[in-house]
Amino acid sequence: MEYTLHLAILICFYTMLSQGLSLAAGKTGLISLAHAGFYGIGAYTTALLSLNFGLSFWVNLPIALALSGAIALLVSLIALRTVEDYFIICTLGIQVIIFSLMNNWMHLTSGPLGIPGIPQISLFGINFGDKIRFLLLSTFFVVFIWLLLRNLYNSAFGKILTALSEDEIYTQSLGRNVYRSKTIAFTMSAMLAAIPGMLYAHYISYIDPTSFTVNESIFILSIVIIGGMGRLWGSFMAATFMIILPEILRFLGMPESVAANMRQIIYGIILVVLMMINSRKQLS
Amino acid sequence: MITTSIFLLIASSFSLTYYPTKFFHLAHAATITFGAYFTYWFITSFSMPFGIAMLLAIAAATLVGILSELLVYRLMRKIGAPLLSYLIASIGLYVVLQNCISLWFGDDTKVINQSQVTVGHNILGAYITTVQVVTILVSVILFIALNIFLRYTVVGRSIRAVANDAGLSVIYGINSNKIILIAFGIGSALAAVAGILSAMDTNMTPTFGFNLLLYGVVAMIIGGVGSTRGLIAGSLLVAAAQNLAAYYLDTKWMDAITYIILILFLMWRPLGFSGQRLKKVEV
Repeated sequence: MEYTLHLAILICFYTMLSQGLSLAAGKTGLISLAHAGFYGIGAYTTALLSLNFGLSFWVNLPIALALSGAIALLVSLIALRTVEDYFIICTLGIQVIIFSLMNNWMHLTSGPLGIPGIPQISLFGINFGDKIRFLLLSTFFVVFIWLLLRNLYNSAFGKILTALSEDEIYTQSLGRNVYRSKTIAFTMSAMLAAIPGMLYAHYISYIDPTSFTVNESIFILSIVIIGGMGRLWGSFMAATFMIILPEILRFLGMPESVAANMRQIIYGIILVVLMMINSRKQLS
Repeated sequence: MITTSIFLLIASSFSLTYYPTKFFHLAHAATITFGAYFTYWFITSFSMPFGIAMLLAIAAATLVGILSELLVYRLMRKIGAPLLSYLIASIGLYVVLQNCISLWFGDDTKVINQSQVTVGHNILGAYITTVQVVTILVSVILFIALNIFLRYTVVGRSIRAVANDAGLSVIYGINSNKIILIAFGIGSALAAVAGILSAMDTNMTPTFGFNLLLYGVVAMIIGGVGSTRGLIAGSLLVAAAQNLAAYYLDTKWMDAITYIILILFLMWRPLGFSGQRLKKVEV
């Protein structure tokens, strides 16, 4: 039971992450490989603030959102000058820089040793250390992000994003500010990544840089792609599938170490096959 | 010098796959790793002499590159997939190949160089090992050979023709699929050589090819796609920056410095040194 709850919480995290990324990658066509970096920024912000200043999760939430938003804004000012392949390489570079800061800035993040002892979340005297309560809290955030994005997609702004992912020049000729819309979408997507990051830090109570690597970014991106680029339900289903997949493999009798690699091999194959079969429908 | 020559080799092998196809073949990283790991495998499992193991490993890695072109990219070209999906497919391919290596050999660090560590030769006041001398020589020779090949042979010229304008070269009777396949083959072989050389100098893990490739890509982007001198300049710049960072700050900041250079460079010149326009023109 405990373990099932753990899986459910992980599904919540990855649903949030992939839905957040689907705003940039799926809806707007800004394929970003820096998502795990922003996920990490959220986690580190709340970990450091709560340990060094004793602030609670609810105070950290707006701070982490603002911080990751600010960094994303800065990043987007640079990265959005480039397009397509160069944009991906650029975000990859940013991901590596963020990871390298987390891994090497010993004074602040204590590097590869990680940060242990992050306190549990509590609100009005209710402690969320319990798995069931934590799952409820995560579900609350999932629903919040889901509704937010759904409304956003249906709004006029969402339509602009769809339009510019298909044809930037045409959108611009209709008098829409393409550059600003892209910046907003990218920044929002990064801010949404900070929320699961914070939840993750408080849930596991220990963070280290290996949770926020390039591979993690690729993993989140593949959830978005498998989920069908910008479809919220799809992201949820794909996240569920990806989290449960190693369990299925273990059920089939594979040892743990093999299962981890097999999962990556399977999602790699799914990515390649998806791209080969209906890339036209998926991306353009 | 050593890092420069390895970057140069990787950048040129990567650009060989990039020119005619116009997408980033990131699974190239796995080819680099495969080259090194196959060498290791042939030596330890079949106790082959190093030279033969290396040649076989290069052949095997070339096969990996050719197969990925044949089985994935060619089929995608047939249905006219957009450029971005090639990149994503190549990421997927890289994930698959890298995890195959992890499954097969394990994630721990492997040592390929069995010979004794020697003090090295004293050249101009700097100590340098035999492996490093070989690395520099091999890279420079291969780089020159590659450029002569591209400039003066029929196949080499065809590769450049396809790189320039695939449609027009088809009209002139060049089989672009065949040319791309050849380019992938040569590129993969060079990548395998680079992988083996760098694994001999340092050690290797299943993911070491990815970092190397990214340095090569950065060198290529900075150097400007499609120019020989640009590649040299880019590799020199990246290697110099890394070594300076290692000297003045710490080796751990080398990655960050490399990418900061890339990003600064993209800010200044979003299209690389050569300033060529991307296909998607922004208004």
